[in-house]
Amino acid sequence: MKLFDKDVDRKLVEYSVVHHKKITIVMLIVTAILACFIPKVRVDTDPENMLSSDEPVRVYHHKMKKEFTIYDLVVLGLVNETDPHGVYNPKTLKKVYDLTQFVKSLNWKENGKEVGVVGPEVMAPSEVDHVSNIGMGTISFEWLVKTPPKTQEEADEFKIKAKSNPLLLDTVFSRDDKAVAIYIPLTSKDVGYRVYKQINKYIKDNYSGAQEKFYLAGLPIAEDTFGVEMFLQMVISAPMAMLVVFILMILFFKKIILVISPMIVAIISIICTMGLLIAFGYPIHIMTSMIPIFLMPIAVVDSIHILSEFFDRYSPEKGRRAVIVEVMHELFVPMLYTSLTSAAGFASLALTPIPPVQVFGLFVAVGIMIAWICTVTFVPAYVMMIREKSLDDFGDSTGKISRENPMARSLHWLGRFVFRYAKPIIVASVLVSIVSVIGITKINVNDNPVRWFTLSHPIRIADIELNKHFGGTYMSYLVLDQKQEKVDLPTYAQNLSKDFEAQIPKWKEKGYVNVDKVASQMETLFLKLSKTASSKSELLNAIFDEAYERSFKADSGDEVETWDVVGEYFGLKDEALKPFKQPDNLNYISKMQKYLLDSGLVGKSNSLSDIVKKVYQELIDGKQSNYRIPNSSRAVAQCLMQYQSGHKPYDLWHFVTNDFKHANIWLQLKSGDNKDMRKVIAVVNEFIKKNPLPNNLELHWAGLTYINVVWQEKMVFGMLQSFIGSFLVVFVMMVLLFRSVGWGLLCMAPLTITILLIYGATGFIGKDYDMPTAVLSSLTLGMAVDFAIHFIQRVRANHVGNSSWRGTNKIMFGEPARAISRNVIVIAVGFLPLLTAGLVPYKTVGIMLCCIMALSGSITLILLPAMVKVWRHKLFCQCKSVRCASCSFIMCSVVSLSTVVIIVLCIEQYIKSGLSNLLLIAAVFSLVLLIGCYLFTRRKRCRDLPKTKESNEV
Amino acid sequence: MKKTILTITIFILTGISLGADSAKLSVAQIVNKANIAAYYQGRDAKARVHMEIVSDSGAKKVRDFIILRKTIVDGGDQKFYVYFNSPADIRRMVFMVHKHVGEDNQDDRWLYLPSMDLVNRIAAGDKRTSFVGSDYFYEDVSGRDLFEDTHKLVSENDKYYIIRNTPKKPSDVEFKYYDLSIDKKTFLPMKIFFYDKKNVLYRKIEVLKVGIIQGHPTALYVLVTNLAAKSKTRMVFSGVKYDIGLPDIFTERYLRVPPRKYLR
Repeated sequence: MKLFDKDVDRKLVEYSVVHHKKITIVMLIVTAILACFIPKVRVDTDPENMLSSDEPVRVYHHKMKKEFTIYDLVVLGLVNETDPHGVYNPKTLKKVYDLTQFVKSLNWKENGKEVGVVGPEVMAPSEVDHVSNIGMGTISFEWLVKTPPKTQEEADEFKIKAKSNPLLLDTVFSRDDKAVAIYIPLTSKDVGYRVYKQINKYIKDNYSGAQEKFYLAGLPIAEDTFGVEMFLQMVISAPMAMLVVFILMILFFKKIILVISPMIVAIISIICTMGLLIAFGYPIHIMTSMIPIFLMPIAVVDSIHILSEFFDRYSPEKGRRAVIVEVMHELFVPMLYTSLTSAAGFASLALTPIPPVQVFGLFVAVGIMIAWICTVTFVPAYVMMIREKSLDDFGDSTGKISRENPMARSLHWLGRFVFRYAKPIIVASVLVSIVSVIGITKINVNDNPVRWFTLSHPIRIADIELNKHFGGTYMSYLVLDQKQEKVDLPTYAQNLSKDFEAQIPKWKEKGYVNVDKVASQMETLFLKLSKTASSKSELLNAIFDEAYERSFKADSGDEVETWDVVGEYFGLKDEALKPFKQPDNLNYISKMQKYLLDSGLVGKSNSLSDIVKKVYQELIDGKQSNYRIPNSSRAVAQCLMQYQSGHKPYDLWHFVTNDFKHANIWLQLKSGDNKDMRKVIAVVNEFIKKNPLPNNLELHWAGLTYINVVWQEKMVFGMLQSFIGSFLVVFVMMVLLFRSVGWGLLCMAPLTITILLIYGATGFIGKDYDMPTAVLSSLTLGMAVDFAIHFIQRVRANHVGNSSWRGTNKIMFGEPARAISRNVIVIAVGFLPLLTAGLVPYKTVGIMLCCIMALSGSITLILLPAMVKVWRHKLFCQCKSVRCASCSFIMCSVVSLSTVVIIVLCIEQYIKSGLSNLLLIAAVFSLVLLIGCYLFTRRKRCRDLPKTKESNEV
Repeated sequence: MKKTILTITIFILTGISLGADSAKLSVAQIVNKANIAAYYQGRDAKARVHMEIVSDSGAKKVRDFIILRKTIVDGGDQKFYVYFNSPADIRRMVFMVHKHVGEDNQDDRWLYLPSMDLVNRIAAGDKRTSFVGSDYFYEDVSGRDLFEDTHKLVSENDKYYIIRNTPKKPSDVEFKYYDLSIDKKTFLPMKIFFYDKKNVLYRKIEVLKVGIIQGHPTALYVLVTNLAAKSKTRMVFSGVKYDIGLPDIFTERYLRVPPRKYLR
């Protein structure tokens, strides 16, 4: 039951040392081949892709976008704070007009398709109708702006018209008169940046020094611009971090020629990983763009350990070959395990139900293993290629430098401190953990692509300014759908024909002629048609059309009227099936809109009800008291027919579908933060609770702001799941590596506290838990466990020869502590240049990496020795041999149970039905395993083992 | 230089007049004849119209109406009465026009909404708005006044005269110009292509079927395509009758009480 051949490491290193040229050449060729794929890179900055394309919410969103011909919107705002008339002056209005004309023309052909701005759908003062009742029963339809006002009087007149339309107030025109907005629909989000740039250029070319301020906001711009700037960051930040790491290493190891090797390892693993990623056809997403930044510290960590050890042991007398073989032998197992655990930490991200995060995790894991292979083969080979002469003044085998070095001295002091205050340190750690847990409960899960930009970025400024003046630049759509219902047409037809018969006397009473003749013809036909029709609507339409047709063959003009009224009966029954022609439903929508507006969370909403109310008001007399939904569905239909008699009849279909079975309420939100969107959802649910939905309707959400909420919620739970998974995987690996549950638990202590502290602090500071923050938990796990492994491996190696812990403690705070400290400093400081980035996620990663490294390093150095000291009797008394370990019931059960949990976590997301079933199976399985462990550890060979385990060495 | 242009112009003009059968017709005559052919056949007329509006996504909306027309002055003033039958909830809605021809003469337009028993006058002004949600404009119902454009014969072939019409007041309309293809035999405008300010074709009206009714060539199937909005409107005319002896039913009174006799 050997985990691997003891001699593998020695053979591998020997091979690398002997065939150093061959190894280098092979490595370079592989890298070059993979590098060839990099130019084929595709970028994807669409947060929508955080969800897989068949995710129901996405499918619905796209279906709804198509049904209501809705496009992703960009908002261009003009703000005039200096003119006493605000934007209502001829100069500003001319600019609005010209900009609108320019924006409408912003489209071009790409792969045979028209892309860019959807010209006819632009919403601006010159693109909307002004409907008004001008008195004496006269109604007027005209463009709100046909030609921009030329004088201030005209501008004043325009202002009255502009502000009279509730549909436009807070959307196109601000309440404070200082701003006007143009809504620019895009064919797709990925043209956002190009449109953004062209509009900005136009503004710069034509209006530099103008008194108006111009702002462009909206998620499509933010998302697409982020993609462009992300690339810049990748090109600037990653090399900058690399440079700092390089300089720090030179400071530590003094030899440029030697320090180059970790850099080569880092570069090669990054190139290979990115090459592979692109070769597999994955696009660069916001997450995957961070692969180089994540790989860099992990890739150099192992090399730093080697160099550190090499530096401390090298002397010209021993020679580089002997020293490197010795160092590699000592570090081989810890390096393998640290790489495996880090890789497992990242690979566990595959458990998150978010495709880009899965890809990110898996490829970082691959990158870590590439870095490991490079480290164990290339670094020794590289050392062999350095001329012995150039290492003359290298090394510290005498320990002189270490003693004089302030870092060495403070580490020794720390060693003494930890030894003396072991128990208080443990108590303090527990207290800190408890406080951190409180912090974690305060964590604010939130993200907003616009917040990926720093406060000084034009996109952020635009976002803030425009949301000050308007209802909001974040769009979300509340859709009411008629429920699908099963119809039994013959029964329906029977019932309807009874109702129909009841009408006959009424028609006769009203004086229609030949009612009996017409009605009986119609009824026969109706029942006949009901056998073949496929829906109520089809049936009613067919009979209505037939009545119309027959009316042309009527015996007399009077009979025509009978045909008309009888046909109309069926036609109106069909119209009654359409929920959004019914005044009750329209009033319900209005009520909901008002409730949302009053909550203060929604800045503005527009719906079919608003259109009907406005048209009705103007048709009647233009008075405010008639701004309401008319009482009959026929009146609603006739209002809508009038609305469609304007310049833009198609605008109606943004709010209702052609069949009047689906209605869309367009919500404008001032904030795109997921937490605010969640509040809006909560308010809607609250409203529905107080005012139940009409019984044939159901409610759905769509829009980018909503989609962001859905994936965020998935992310939080997914990350937790993946973290528990990786935690257990690492734990099982540690138990197996050290063949002891105690050591395994110990190894998990520093990373547990680091993570608690990091996220506790996140909670206390109020920093939003967004995607980069979430993903960093995997990195924390990988890095913190690295230090612990190195530390514990050394403790166990060193303690054999030393009977007192005081001695071991001293050794540990010598070279091993220095290696860990060097690592901490190199990576922590190395990533501070990320703070200069213009994009917030990069800043977050920079600052958090720095904290994670510093914390996990120092917690390893402080807490681990303290814990070992306190529990050394228990820890060292366990058996070390493989055979002995396989006989430990505790170890067997811990490993088995952890494995069951890992498996449950893995398959949980693929199982659609019954989580409880899965848990039941897992419980049964666990019981079987426990019994198995019991029998296994009581087998004959184990009983033969001496009762007293290995001797107490303390 | 001037001379060259002049020569070319003369050449083109003479070329046209030589090549054409109806060599004697001036542009104004062609345009007038086309106007008469399209809007002034018979003293009065009646037609059933079945209209289908098909959007880009394929969604279809239907309108059925009956249109009555009476000419007051040939090539001049006219009256129109449009009575809606379907969809059921707009049945009995009426749109009425008193068309007044001549510069600065505005049409009078009324709308009757039966559900509210409301007669509204529609303010003079923009007539280039959608006719009940279709791609057809109100102006297309009653015809665009010849005085509003300048007309130029740009080319002709065996079948058509191609007349370019440029608005006298460009700010009043959304097009830069439109080209009429006028059938040389019937003088019916068979194609009307509208071009925007960038000379891009964005809207077209095509007559796809012509029938001879009581000796008058009559458009029976018209297709309007809005290329910008990717929407189409089909109109099928049936039951066309000329000279039915319409009395003056074009008054507000008849908006509320439709003249049944003439609507079948």
